[in-house]
Amino acid sequence: MAFFSSGSRVLVEILTRMQSAERPMPVDHTFFEFGSIRYHVEASVSDPENVFLSISTPSLSHEAAAPSSSSAASRLPELTLQETRKTYGRFAEIVEPPREGYALTLKLNFSGLARPKDRVKAINQVSLLQSVVLSSQLKEMLGSLGSSPGTMRLVYNQREPFFVSRTADETINAIFPMRFRDDTDLAIATSFFQELQDVGNSFAWAPKCSWSPIPPPELRGEKVHHLTTNGGFVSFGVLSRHVRGKRAAKTAWILLNFQSYVKYHIKCTRSHVQSRMRERLETLTEAVQNARLRGTNSHDKKRASQVVKKRSSKRRLVSLAKASKKLHKGFRAVLDKIMKRLRQRIRVKGLDRLRRQFRCRCFAVPRLPAAPPRAHSRSRKAHRYHKLAE
Amino acid sequence: MSTANTLRLYLTCIRNTLEAAMCLQNFPCQEVERHNKPEVELKTSPELLLNPVLICRNEAEKCLIETSINSIRISMKVKQADELENILAKKFLRFLSMRAEAFQVLRRKPVQGYDISFLITNYHCEDMHKHKLIDFIVQFMEDIDKEISELKLSVNTRGRLVATEFLKQFI
Repeated sequence: MAFFSSGSRVLVEILTRMQSAERPMPVDHTFFEFGSIRYHVEASVSDPENVFLSISTPSLSHEAAAPSSSSAASRLPELTLQETRKTYGRFAEIVEPPREGYALTLKLNFSGLARPKDRVKAINQVSLLQSVVLSSQLKEMLGSLGSSPGTMRLVYNQREPFFVSRTADETINAIFPMRFRDDTDLAIATSFFQELQDVGNSFAWAPKCSWSPIPPPELRGEKVHHLTTNGGFVSFGVLSRHVRGKRAAKTAWILLNFQSYVKYHIKCTRSHVQSRMRERLETLTEAVQNARLRGTNSHDKKRASQVVKKRSSKRRLVSLAKASKKLHKGFRAVLDKIMKRLRQRIRVKGLDRLRRQFRCRCFAVPRLPAAPPRAHSRSRKAHRYHKLAE
Repeated sequence: MSTANTLRLYLTCIRNTLEAAMCLQNFPCQEVERHNKPEVELKTSPELLLNPVLICRNEAEKCLIETSINSIRISMKVKQADELENILAKKFLRFLSMRAEAFQVLRRKPVQGYDISFLITNYHCEDMHKHKLIDFIVQFMEDIDKEISELKLSVNTRGRLVATEFLKQFI
């Protein structure tokens, strides 16, 4: 499932390439992530050791974002800067003032880190800069609420603001009003929220999750258009253990991306439903095709026979030579039989028996007369012909 | 009576009715010369129409069988227990209606008050085995119910898994 990594992959790639390059090269990259977070990486050939990384993140507080005339740097609270110094102090320092149009500029110098392992670790840490900035902003805002209960509206994505409130028992509630443009999205999301609520109770470590179609009591007094939703309200009860130490940044990041997470889930489910429907369509169409009189049955048989023919054609070629030899032999045998029959004496049924029965001279075999002398034959011959001259 | 048993009875009833109703013959249109139109759609000549039969399993599930001399129209209403089932049924039936040419007997637009409609003409009966055509209609009804239930189950299962994965991130 979706896992929105808080680290910037592009930043890791650029910094790694710069570190592994044999010759120093000039770098000037500007890129966006998550739609609203802008980075600028800059390095020159003359000063390859120092890399300038600038970041511009949207302010979480809607009220603070409104006066845009003031410089971007002034928007970052002191707590955020302190947090950044604390995290990146070993290899980075904050440049004052930051580059124009950016909230924070860091001068990175990895030359102090001798081992390549440390450099890789440092680069990965730098890629988490946006989550550090955002979580410290969130922390600072919650601090400004004080110990007294209250609610604050935060804007991470311009279209989808959410609320953070502190209750009397020190629990921080992150409340997300969910809006969907489509009925299908709404149905899938509703099913997801119900499951989230059910599963949430079985995870002791996770923040308590609840979903209700009506606004929770903490949002009483907020403007109506902020509370107009079609997907209800999802709230997470964040306890102090979820924001202790390093967990704070992670928790803040997870909560900030909750709406994107839900949208990604909806998108995946829709595509899953679509693919299932396609599969089912095939089976149903097959049933209709089978019903046809000259339908798939005969067609399939033809196809199958074609396949069998193709397979057997090779075998046939091989066996053809053998067959011709056999045929030749067979012809010979037949011819021989016919010749034998022709040469045989004509048999008369029962003739032998008759001969045996009448051995007496009833059926005397006529004896051929002995051959006459040659002279006599000559005379006879002489008698045969008429003498024309007489 | 169990659900499976009622479904079997419902489907058997539909099958028997279809077997009785599906005796179609070629019949030219009486209004327009040299035209041949499904009378069940036009309904211009009442003498060519038979009484429609409505078979109901419950309020949400019913099947209307309208018969005429040369065509028969079968309209179905599929059960939709909750919002998710309603959405899935709509989505699936629309998906099928848009691919009506693959089924030949499927109507692109269902009759009002129903979710999906079939139109079988005498030409279809000439081109297809009658008993197989009836088998297809009954199997279709069975499959639609099954598919919608499975889709609902799979959406809920996916939701549960995704929710678990989301909450695991906090640990």
